[in-house]
Amino acid sequence: MFERVIRWSRKKSPWILHLNSGACNACDIEVVAALTPRFDVERLGVLLKATPRHADVIVATGPVTRQLRDRIIRIYDQTPDPKFVIAVGACAMSGCVYRGAYNICGGLDQVIPVNIYIPGCPVRPDAILDGVVKLLNTL
Amino acid sequence: MNDEQKIEKLKTFVSPEAVAHPASHRIFVTVAPSGLVTLVERMKAELDNWYVITISGVDKGESYEILYHFGDTTGSITVRTQIPKADPRLPSICGPIPGAVLYERELQDMFGIAVDNLPDPRPMLMPDDWPAGNFPLRKDWKFDRPAEVIPGGEK
Amino acid sequence: MKFQIPIGPQHPALKEPISIRLTVEGEVIKDADLRLGYNHRGVEKLAEEKSWIQNIYLCERICGICSHSHATCFVQGAEKLLEIEPPRRGVYLRYLVSELERIHSHLLWLGVAGHEAGFDTFFMYTWRDREVVMDLLEMISGNRVHYAINTLGGVRRDIDETLRGKILEGLAVLKARSEYYFKIGAAEPTFVARLAGVGPLTKQQAMDYCAVGPMARASGIDRDVRKNDPHDFYNEVEFDVATADSCDVLGRTIVRIKELFESYKICEQILRKLPDGPIAVKAPRRAKPGEVVSRYEAPRGENIHYIVANGSDKPERLKVRAPTLANYPATIEILKHGFIADVPLIFAAIDPCICCAERSVELVDARSGEERTLRFSDLRRMANDRARSLSLQRNVAWPL
Repeated sequence: MFERVIRWSRKKSPWILHLNSGACNACDIEVVAALTPRFDVERLGVLLKATPRHADVIVATGPVTRQLRDRIIRIYDQTPDPKFVIAVGACAMSGCVYRGAYNICGGLDQVIPVNIYIPGCPVRPDAILDGVVKLLNTL
Repeated sequence: MNDEQKIEKLKTFVSPEAVAHPASHRIFVTVAPSGLVTLVERMKAELDNWYVITISGVDKGESYEILYHFGDTTGSITVRTQIPKADPRLPSICGPIPGAVLYERELQDMFGIAVDNLPDPRPMLMPDDWPAGNFPLRKDWKFDRPAEVIPGGEK
Repeated sequence: MKFQIPIGPQHPALKEPISIRLTVEGEVIKDADLRLGYNHRGVEKLAEEKSWIQNIYLCERICGICSHSHATCFVQGAEKLLEIEPPRRGVYLRYLVSELERIHSHLLWLGVAGHEAGFDTFFMYTWRDREVVMDLLEMISGNRVHYAINTLGGVRRDIDETLRGKILEGLAVLKARSEYYFKIGAAEPTFVARLAGVGPLTKQQAMDYCAVGPMARASGIDRDVRKNDPHDFYNEVEFDVATADSCDVLGRTIVRIKELFESYKICEQILRKLPDGPIAVKAPRRAKPGEVVSRYEAPRGENIHYIVANGSDKPERLKVRAPTLANYPATIEILKHGFIADVPLIFAAIDPCICCAERSVELVDARSGEERTLRFSDLRRMANDRARSLSLQRNVAWPL
């Protein structure tokens, strides 16, 4: 019975942590634009939090640079269970145009396990909303 | 000061055949590394609204060609020097113009050129676990791309 | 005693990793130090392995906000090396997108500045109006960012009469809203008091540390590539360079708002004088050996690309210097004489784009050597509390 309440509250208000692992900033601006009055992701209960210890969902953009690799793994470990990772953009999926550069590890799934991929370069805010809703429906 | 007046002035700083004017608003000057700092000080004193835009390095095989791009009110002036690969050393121009420090640190990281008298000689761009002695923009630097692991495995 | 707070979003916009170490004595900053390199992707090495056309798309993705600046700067240089000249209509369309990008970037910055000053309503308003420009850009090019409208020899898409009418309507709406923002900036005493006197950079310091863009123009230096080293197109439109004399964050805000109005003027002139004709010419595959220096005025400052060609279909060397890197030495100088609580606003005022806007700031106490890490949100809260406790200054000099 408690289980149902907890699952309902987790579904109705996921708190997200936005992580930029060396991206060009376009996807990040679109994630922030999702908070602005036109797309307004806060009506779904999503709140942008500053620290991984409060977050349920990690929204990550960007190809992973070598300098940030350990820090991302540390952030992933600090987020409490159950947690979900959304990889936003072509860079986080596979590296986009930077594939093969000397300072890039490839996509985000080379470093931490990913639950949902949202393609685009950059991702439209509508697509981010769609991805978040699809993730919530699997809960 | 338009292009012609600048070229006349620059010809008095270095020899006349070292100054080239390939396109409008673009002047190229060739100088040896030893004469670099004096030329920079004279340009700073005589040209107005003058600043460093950036410093580029090109690997030419046997030597490095370093280009200092300066800008002023009517265009850009590029100063070119060559240093041999066997002994890559350059004097720093941070004395007359402190804003050039980040560009010279980048030269150190990317090409392995030693810049003398730099106020802040730490490496700038490379990650903390970068193996020393690897300079990415040299033409003979190769690296192995690590194999990609596809989560879930390839079926 | 040192604990590290990991990377996490402190302010909603512009989060790219960079870390600053500040040495403090009480509230005053004695020394500042930057650690770059979190965002280093090795673009210059990648560019040597891609052809001229592929490099346009690579250069676009150096930055997400001023993507057209990098693409246009590269294409200007590559067209000189390939010895082709784009037709007039193509040039006009290319610079129309440039000015629309400048508008969207300055509205974005105004929102960020409002958020850093504690004025969240302003942030929401400006980003809502920014959507007008994003819609126009999507109608012209098909994407909200990374327009991919440049090609070697011209542009890829054309605009017709209905689209031209829509752009003019959108610009009229934006002009009315921008006048409202100007009034807020000028007449709202709390906002002005929050920004005035913060982050001073004198004219001599700006010259020594080679500041570019609105940072330099707010210190009274008349430095703008569109006037100093113009492409032929800018000789055919009339506009002024916006400068201010107050040398602080308020001056930088005013310069950007004035530039918004200049961009509206330029866009209207382009749409009135748009010539007919083709939009692109065919480009050869190989470039003859040579070198070119290409400069461009991005919304944040001056962008420079230096390209060397060696006769093949790939460039020999591409050197890119983005404008925010040029403003870092000046920023460190400003930070050295400031208060801890002003750090978010100073950093937002340089309009950080590439390798900037970080998450965590490490403070080292100058006397005891103790280190502690603060988050940006803590700094912002400290700054706004301090500003609220100061009395309102009603006679702040307006830098017009």
